[in-house]
Amino acid sequence: MSTRASTSFFSLRRILIIAQNTVTQLVRMKVFYFLAPIALLFVGIQFFDLIWYQGAETLQPEQELRMHKNICLGTMMVFSSMFGIVATALLIPGDIEDRTLYTILCKPVPRLDYLVGKLLGVMAVIFIAMVVMDVLLVATLHFRTEQKLVEVTEYMKKIGYPEEDLAAGRAEIAAHGPTLILQYGVMAHFLKASVIAAVALLISTFSTSTIFTIATSAMVWIIGAFQSVAREGLFTDPFFGEDPNMAERIVSTFVTLVFPDFKLFESIADGAVRAEEVLHTDMAQLGGFAALYIGIYVVLSWFVFSDKEF
Amino acid sequence: MSDVPAVEAKNLVKDFKGAFKGKKVRAVKNVSFQIAPGEVYGLIGPNGSGKSTTMKAVLGLVAPTSGSTSIFGRNSLKVDSRNEVGFLPENPYFYKHLTAAETVRFYGKLCGMRGRKLKERIGELLELVGLQDARDRRLKGFSKGMLQRIGLAQAMVQDPRLLVLDEPTAGVDPTGSREIRDLILELKNRGITVFLCSHLLEQVQQVCDRVGIIHQGVLVNEGRLDDLIAVENRTELILENASESLLDQIRTLVDVTHQAEVVSEGNARTTLEDLFLRETMSDAKEQAASK
Repeated sequence: MSTRASTSFFSLRRILIIAQNTVTQLVRMKVFYFLAPIALLFVGIQFFDLIWYQGAETLQPEQELRMHKNICLGTMMVFSSMFGIVATALLIPGDIEDRTLYTILCKPVPRLDYLVGKLLGVMAVIFIAMVVMDVLLVATLHFRTEQKLVEVTEYMKKIGYPEEDLAAGRAEIAAHGPTLILQYGVMAHFLKASVIAAVALLISTFSTSTIFTIATSAMVWIIGAFQSVAREGLFTDPFFGEDPNMAERIVSTFVTLVFPDFKLFESIADGAVRAEEVLHTDMAQLGGFAALYIGIYVVLSWFVFSDKEF
Repeated sequence: MSDVPAVEAKNLVKDFKGAFKGKKVRAVKNVSFQIAPGEVYGLIGPNGSGKSTTMKAVLGLVAPTSGSTSIFGRNSLKVDSRNEVGFLPENPYFYKHLTAAETVRFYGKLCGMRGRKLKERIGELLELVGLQDARDRRLKGFSKGMLQRIGLAQAMVQDPRLLVLDEPTAGVDPTGSREIRDLILELKNRGITVFLCSHLLEQVQQVCDRVGIIHQGVLVNEGRLDDLIAVENRTELILENASESLLDQIRTLVDVTHQAEVVSEGNARTTLEDLFLRETMSDAKEQAASK
């Protein structure tokens, strides 16, 4: 009997097999059932107006559209981030407790492949859920934008606004509809959830319980969301704008390295809500930033996991 | 047969951190043994004796504190060594969301198998372990015995040269247990090396060529089973249809010669397992015939 060929250090094929299995596992755990209440929410907010909205005569229909986007993107952010934490925190400890991990690691599967496969599987499920929610968001927002366009056009024509004002008003409303910038906002939330999932992956490699992993990942999520505000408040003088000293710089750099700055993701999503211009380069930078953090967390996870004994 | 042992442990030592910082617990103490290719080797010992740790060290799931373990000459800690191994853990749990066929397919793909070859292998293995009727059932509803069988199927998926079985019949009924035992013997006939840990000493005795006895982390005895259990100054003579007069003649001969002594005599006994299987199998056959 001949001996088999050596196993490559890193195999995309093996990673995809583990990722595919993770997707199947999560799908069969019926995680997508969460999408039903979210879909109801997205459709339901169609029927609610802001309490101060007095109809087309206020000429501020974009406020309505902003509210619509804010609620939907906020829901997507909370769902995707929480899902990233909980799913990742459950999967690896689950495999260890069930000893399924023994049977996987006793096959020619490098531990890095296993970790990356699990993370990719969770990211794929988040991506699928985000696509479904995005389709719903685009559909409902399109419907609502068209409604506002008709209302405002009729009103402005009735009042006798000049044609150029009418066109400008319509353009303003359309800018708050389903645009590429909105897609950037959705993408920013997906990237944020992926980074949080990578954080949960790292914690689950040394944690002894799922609860600890979830709680610690949630803490990182919160610190990441507020770290830029805290850094500004703690390390610079708001009145005189003094430069931070060396110790403050070191602490600030350490915090930035350990905890990802989620404000960067939020600012893109906030820009999408306000229909502000988002540069393609900003989005590309955010993608690179997310990839860098995911890469760092995966490598750290691997360092911990490669020496872990079962 | 190759000179390279299928499994080799050289001066294996494994320490675990104790409950208190700094205090270590030595689970395996300088254990050395070899398993030749094609051999069935049983490692037996009481709970907490270090047999599972030894097995995990062989599989690369734990790193030795000192010493080394290898599989077909390759260091167990290297991923390459696992190309040749199939492992069935004690009380295995697999992904409950997968069906029997999907489970075998998943592990087969992890071993680099694909396409028609994998498809055929899945069919072969499910038939071998008697799960062809449950191939599309999810593992969530499987009994312990069925999980053990699917565990065996996944362990054998890449046709490994070495099978490591930790309590392979735990939780399996006597019929299933006998089938697993027969399967081990069949694998042995096919030249596959089997390394097994079991508490069921009778079963170890039935299938193993060599055994190692581990106690408090020390390999206290090791060797060919026949050599270890044979009582050198006693001889067993089993006769069939012997008349009482023939037995009297033998007793008299022994008395007269004064060269030996009859220690005990009586009817040869079957095992409880054989009796159980005879009863249950004949019952099943009668039911099948009446249908």
